[in-house]
Formats: sequence, C-alpha cells, structure tokens
Amino acid sequence: MAGVFDLLSGDFLIHGIVLFAVAGALLWDARSQRVRTSAEVVDAPPPAVETTRPGPSLPPSPLVIAGVAFAIVVGSFARYSWPASLAVFGVAAAAVAIAWREPRTRRSPPEPVTRVGAIAWTTVFVSLALWELTALLLQPSLTTDSYAHPTISVLMDSVLASPIGRSAFLVVWLAVGWVLLER
Amino acid sequence: MSSHDLTVAGYLAIIACGVALEVLSRRPRSRIPSFGRVLSSVMRTRAGRVGVVAGWAWLGLHLLVR
Repeated sequence: MAGVFDLLSGDFLIHGIVLFAVAGALLWDARSQRVRTSAEVVDAPPPAVETTRPGPSLPPSPLVIAGVAFAIVVGSFARYSWPASLAVFGVAAAAVAIAWREPRTRRSPPEPVTRVGAIAWTTVFVSLALWELTALLLQPSLTTDSYAHPTISVLMDSVLASPIGRSAFLVVWLAVGWVLLER
Repeated sequence: MSSHDLTVAGYLAIIACGVALEVLSRRPRSRIPSFGRVLSSVMRTRAGRVGVVAGWAWLGLHLLVR
C-alpha cells in the first residue's frame, strides 16, 4: 500500500520499487517456507537451541564515530543529489539484508501483547496514517505540496533544507536503525 | 486557527496519544504494552523484522534520496 501511494504521489520510482521488491521477496519467502515445511514433515531436523541475549546495546565506539562521520559528510551533500542518494541507499539496503537473515541468537520471547494493547497502538498508527493521507488528499494535487495541509514530508522540508538539519536527521535515522537491528 | 495549524495540531495530538500510551505502559500491572515490547513482538518473525526495517529504510530514502 505504501508503495502504491508512493507512486501515486509522484515520488521517484525507486522508492515504490524498493517497497514492492521487499513485499515480493517476503511473499516468495513465505511461499517457499510453506513448501519446505510440507516436504520436511517426515525428516524434520531437531529444532535449533534458542539462546538469549541482553536487550539492545549501545553500538561500539568506532561504529558511533563512523555513523557521526557518515551523517556529517552525507548531510553536507545536497538533498536528492546522487552522492547522498547512493550513500543512504547503501545503508538502507545493507540494513534490510541484515534484517532478512535469521539472528544467530534470540532474545527470550517477549510477553504476549494484550488485545487492548494491540488495539491501542494500532489505533495510534492508523490515525497517524489516516491524518497524513487526509493532508495528502487535501493538497492541490498529489504532486503539489500544500502549506495549508502539510504532510509529514512537507513539515520535514524546513529541517532538511540545511546541512545541519540533514546531518541531525541522519544521526537519528542511523540510531533508530541500530536499535531495530539489535532487536 | 488556520488549516495549517489544525493539521499540525492533529499530528501533535496523535504523537501525544503515543506518548501517553508509553507512559501508561510503565505503570505496574498495566495492560498496555510499551512500544518496545510491541516492536519486539512484531519483529519475532522474518516478515515482521524485514517489514519494520524496510519501513525505516523507506523513510530515509523518501526524505533524502533522488
């Protein structure tokens, strides 16, 4: 769905294609797993021993320095320029590839999420998506920004207009990526 | 209040709801899970893990990449 809206809103084709590619790969993976599961019922290997590891840890210092250097250098490139695009795309692709692999160690299973908790958090994110969609549809056109009905991207434009803003965003973006990959 | 202010207020209200849920989750015997616990639960499967990381990756691409 996000890919469809990306294309409808006139974004560059590659963004939508990335989302479609990930969705396609996940569908293909789910299908192959179903085939594997049905073929291996008789000769199933013993289940892997699940070890536990502590919660998300801070990245090692060299990685922090590299991340900050990356943010400063890439933030100094013009927005949507080829050097910035290649650098951010490289990090994003590497992160998705790492997420694709099964983690070698797993955390102990989290407590199950209650129904009321799932509904509460889903409501927040669906509300945010619908509010953003409303702002998008209230623009003069899907490809024309509106001051009266700004989307989150439009609100971010003022932050990302300066190299400092882009570098700060990149530091936060990289930090969030690290936390996600550590889960 | 202009349309711009109303739109921004809507975003802020939704973010405030998220913060309120996170605060509620910290109370003892709360039935509301923290956002981190929801993420951990979603990311137990490959589809969930890759989906969440792809969403994060897309945000960077959307805002900075040609």
